[in-house]
Amino acid sequence: MAQYEEVEVHGYEEFCKAVSERKGKDIFAYFSGDKDEQGRSWCPDCVKAEPVVRGEMEHLPEGSVFIYCQVGDRPYWKDPNNEFKKTLKLTGVPTLLHYGTPQTLVEERCFKADLVRMMFTED
Amino acid sequence: MVTLRMRIQMLVQKWYQVFESSKIPQSFTLLYDVSLRFSKPFMAVSHYICLASVLENGSNYQDLLMEMTGQKTVPNVFINKTHVGGCDKTMQAHKDGLLQQLLGGESEVYDYDLIVIGGGSGGLACSKAAANLGKKVMVLDYVVPTPKGTSWGLGGTCVNVGCIPKKLMHQTALLGTAMEDARKFGWEFSEQVTHNWETMKTAVNNYIGSLNWGYRVSLRDKNVNYVNAYAEFVEPHKIKATNKRGKETFYTAAKFVLATGERPRYLGIPGDKEYCITSDDLFYLSYCPGKTLVVGASYVALECGGFLAGLGLDVTVMVRSILLRGFDQDMANRAGDYMETHGVKFLKKFVPVKVEELEAGTPGRLKVTAKSTETDEVFEGEYNTVLIAVGRDACTGNIGLDKAGVKVNPKNGKIPVNDEEQTNIPHIYAIGDILEGKWELTPVAIQAGKLLAHSISLKRAVELYGQENLEVFHSLFWPLEYTVPNRDNNRCYAKIICNKLDNDRVIGFHYLGPNAGEVTQGFGTAMKCGVTKEQLDNTIGIHPTCAEIFTTMEVTKRSGGDINQAGC
Repeated sequence: MAQYEEVEVHGYEEFCKAVSERKGKDIFAYFSGDKDEQGRSWCPDCVKAEPVVRGEMEHLPEGSVFIYCQVGDRPYWKDPNNEFKKTLKLTGVPTLLHYGTPQTLVEERCFKADLVRMMFTED
Repeated sequence: MVTLRMRIQMLVQKWYQVFESSKIPQSFTLLYDVSLRFSKPFMAVSHYICLASVLENGSNYQDLLMEMTGQKTVPNVFINKTHVGGCDKTMQAHKDGLLQQLLGGESEVYDYDLIVIGGGSGGLACSKAAANLGKKVMVLDYVVPTPKGTSWGLGGTCVNVGCIPKKLMHQTALLGTAMEDARKFGWEFSEQVTHNWETMKTAVNNYIGSLNWGYRVSLRDKNVNYVNAYAEFVEPHKIKATNKRGKETFYTAAKFVLATGERPRYLGIPGDKEYCITSDDLFYLSYCPGKTLVVGASYVALECGGFLAGLGLDVTVMVRSILLRGFDQDMANRAGDYMETHGVKFLKKFVPVKVEELEAGTPGRLKVTAKSTETDEVFEGEYNTVLIAVGRDACTGNIGLDKAGVKVNPKNGKIPVNDEEQTNIPHIYAIGDILEGKWELTPVAIQAGKLLAHSISLKRAVELYGQENLEVFHSLFWPLEYTVPNRDNNRCYAKIICNKLDNDRVIGFHYLGPNAGEVTQGFGTAMKCGVTKEQLDNTIGIHPTCAEIFTTMEVTKRSGGDINQAGC
């Protein structure tokens, strides 16, 4: 069983704070549309991808960090100038990325367990 | 007259024969399943499977079959002329493995349909194409670290240590020049413009990293199995793959493609591997190379020397004899002269004999001793970095090709192939830089060895057609962007070679100037279409551009006329 830290954040500022507090660590971030009170996201692809991503988390490297980030509601996300799109250069949700590297999986690619596993176990 | 008996005998002569009533028999579905497993496409199978519907002549067929085989019932199955039996017997044969044997003929079961050795431009293009056709494919890619320890990811030379980083660093140098010119166009900035090597290197490496990742994802998407391991043949259909931890795994395949590419050659002098770098190291150097000696006269040497000088570094190029062997020498010398006027020093007709370390560091200080090729003169110089670019050798020496029986040219390690890229061993193919006699270029590898629009050098044209049958048109020109900053007046040069015996068809195209690649691409296609001088002259030039010079060339080399341009 891999030892990793899971962090839940909401919004861009909280995300940046979580990252800056963990300098030097291997960080994986999963960006999803906000969930409602029933725990369902407005983003249907995020709903589909989450169990796949969670299913591969046992492959996360020892000592790494997994940040689960809710980006905001649908209108916020649709705005092309939101901070996630402008600064982090995200193009869609869900996005799974290996922070600080070019490794990213966007939208339907997150449905593929073997791609998620490839990212978590990449040398 | 064809009797029913004769007809049955004829039908049995085909590979599979199932006599059945109108329903599709269980055994037919079984045959379909088993034959697919042996990759026999269904179409081929159905060509051979003839469901002889016995509805009409039902009882006649069955009586005759009873006579021939002792079996009265249907289905009555024949495979490869062997009578297998009825449904139960066919199912039993499947369980026993007899069915596989009869269907498979002499084809064996391999782990993969295709194994590609090498994950560069050629290997990746090939494996993706094969996967698209439904084949089971594996790609093995492994980068043996350089003597300095440099290594990189999936994608081959072009992506990691060739075209891509080179063009990006070349662009870096161009931007430096643009900033210098900017002041003349009215941009005002007071600080001195300096260049940070680490910032550039990190940005370039990150972009390359995204390409490496992109290839990993794309291979996975297409179900191509990628293994980061060094592959060698141990038998004609079997390879041994050794990963970086030394673990060995074995794989077999029906067919193989060799796409192992090349690596830089060293000089074979004392100190070369210990203290010198090659293009493999340059793009990953964590520190600025400083005062650099480039050894070699290849396009790699000149391109690297060029952009390093463009970054403001002190660059010397040491050349043994001529520049750019194999290229049009007129163009090669013009390029060399251009580099000299822009501050690159050339040491012509010298070869290094040893490299010593005066001081370790990042960069350190190296002492290079060189001898003249013509006199007794000895040269000694001190540099921070020595970059060796004297050629590249095919990676065919250590992959067990002898175990597979593949013929390799012992002089250069390259592999001779036929027009279908097949080696002397029918199930082994080769593509890319390792091919004998093919252009070592990424698009060529991608096209799997097909030659693209190919410009003939003047020397070669003379050899082929004879001097008197050629007309060479040429011109100097001054790109508009250079006029205001007063840069390079009449140093850019354009030349075309026409075949007088064939309507002045353009058989050679040469361009020395900015954006050479962009300018040449369209003309390349035009040449493939057989463009003539008259058609070029009739083309309306796009103004103001550099490329339009090719639509207004009037002066021939033969006339000796003046080709200086006055500007627009």
